[in-house]
Amino acid sequence: MKIKFILTAILIMNLVIARAQDSLQKQIDVLKEEVKSLKSDENSHFMVRGFAQFGMDATSSAMNFNMTSFNPVLLWRQGSNFLFESELEMEYMNNEFSLDIGYANATYLVTKGLSVKVGKILIPFGTFSERLHPSWVNKLSTAPLGMGHMDGMSPMADIGIDIRGGLQIGLSKLNYSFYVVNGPRLDDGIASPTDAGKLTFENNNDNNNNKAIGSRIGFLPFTNSSLEIGVSAYYAKPGSETSPFAGDTMNQNLNYKNVTAMLTAFDLTYVKQLSPISGVIDIRGQYNLSNVSNATYYSSIDSMQYTFTNKSSAYYVQFSYRPSMVDNDILRNFELVTRYSAYTTPKYSLWYSDQTQMEIGLNYWIGWRSVIKFSYQYTDGTIAGTGTSGMAGMPGMSNGRLAHATTPTTTTTSTSSSEMGTSNGYMFLLHLAIGL
Amino acid sequence: MKKKIYIYALLLAAFAASAFIQGCSSAKETLANKSGAQLWSENCIRCHNGPSPTEFTDVQWKTIGMHMQIRANLTSTEAKKIVEFLQSAN
Ligand code: HEC
Repeated sequence: MKIKFILTAILIMNLVIARAQDSLQKQIDVLKEEVKSLKSDENSHFMVRGFAQFGMDATSSAMNFNMTSFNPVLLWRQGSNFLFESELEMEYMNNEFSLDIGYANATYLVTKGLSVKVGKILIPFGTFSERLHPSWVNKLSTAPLGMGHMDGMSPMADIGIDIRGGLQIGLSKLNYSFYVVNGPRLDDGIASPTDAGKLTFENNNDNNNNKAIGSRIGFLPFTNSSLEIGVSAYYAKPGSETSPFAGDTMNQNLNYKNVTAMLTAFDLTYVKQLSPISGVIDIRGQYNLSNVSNATYYSSIDSMQYTFTNKSSAYYVQFSYRPSMVDNDILRNFELVTRYSAYTTPKYSLWYSDQTQMEIGLNYWIGWRSVIKFSYQYTDGTIAGTGTSGMAGMPGMSNGRLAHATTPTTTTTSTSSSEMGTSNGYMFLLHLAIGL
Repeated sequence: MKKKIYIYALLLAAFAASAFIQGCSSAKETLANKSGAQLWSENCIRCHNGPSPTEFTDVQWKTIGMHMQIRANLTSTEAKKIVEFLQSAN
């Protein structure tokens, strides 16, 4: 009898405990869900990302430690529709420290497929400047010829407004961006005669009332998003309102008010994970054209007025392969990359150059966005001023070879065009880029 | 140098052709019925290596999702699905 009673008591107790546990578990589950939903809906979120890099390059005559920079990216999200992004560029190059803002803007997601961005924006002219220039994204250490910050013929970043979005059209996707920015300035050659006729981008103060307008339309024909083809256009009137030679009786007829600049770009990206080759294949390219209307310039070097057809072009094609699907832990972190690029500036300008470059690299990925890049680069062609093809001087890194070089904030630079470009010859580069 | 350009052009053409064939065969799968996981595996490798879901927390993914939606001009539906997947798999 006693035993029966004890057993029944234990049974009831067990039931009660099980019940209690059950409801406790339920309560915990509910709480968990609440915490999760609170977490993911957190209204305001601040985050610091970005990257740091360090590198060196070596030629037959010199070896430089270079490419040292720290680029924190600040992200601040407010609710579900508002994002602020800003990149600081802290760079140490040629014994000089510089601090700059790569971009700083706010975006409001207005509705599905439409957002508005204002501030200093990366310009979606082709894909290199907006999508590939961070050194942990770019698979090579340098920017393609003509697409860097300093030797570039196209805009990287500017202040203005950008309306953009992505839409689904049937089985394909279309994305667009329309923007209005301060725009470039036309170099009048007064401060540096060898730069007359060049466009300089990234001006914090505009020199005229005209804004530059531009657009990029991207088309992804396949549902797997592997291929994207883009077309970009950019139009500006880069001259100042009044003649820069006012008061100079000999040259005051020179005026750049009506000069126009029309830039176009075509880009292609194909990225796909392919099991037959156990990895990811990545093909990309861009072709830039710049057409600035004719104008007469004055060269104080030989006290002459002259004119030239002001057209430039640059292109690159890049292939890379990473055996990301093989079993071997070490092998799958390697990546092979090769790029060919070319850049031609106006033939009769004082900054004429016509160069091609071949670069082959082997990368080792230490994390999904940290990489050690080793590459060999060979540049060939003609550069104004040196008038040679073959080995020219190696002016350190005072050129646009850096994938992420600092941009001068003033429009006039004292460096002559021959120093601005990439030197001819070969170079080995070793580069560490760490995404934060 | 001309030769190199031809080789590049040829390779490019070959890949464009193979991409086209592949693209056509996968056209049955519409964007609408793709899972977040699949959209993630296709879209997040287009510019850089795709990050694994465990790299970030839910709140961080929401911010990153928005950042990438804007940067890559993803459609809102894609971005939403991808973020939901990343948050569920981290
Ligand atoms: C169109 C190119 C492109 C695509 C597609 C893309 N990214 Fe990015 N991503 C970038 C660039 C460029 C950066 C670097 C931003 C910077 O530092 O300015 C970046 C940065 C990041 C970062 C670092 C944190 C941050 O927000 O800057 C994460 C994480 C990330 N991407 C995840 C993703 C995910 C997940 C996807 C898929 C939805 C994706 N990316 C698709 C270009 C792209």
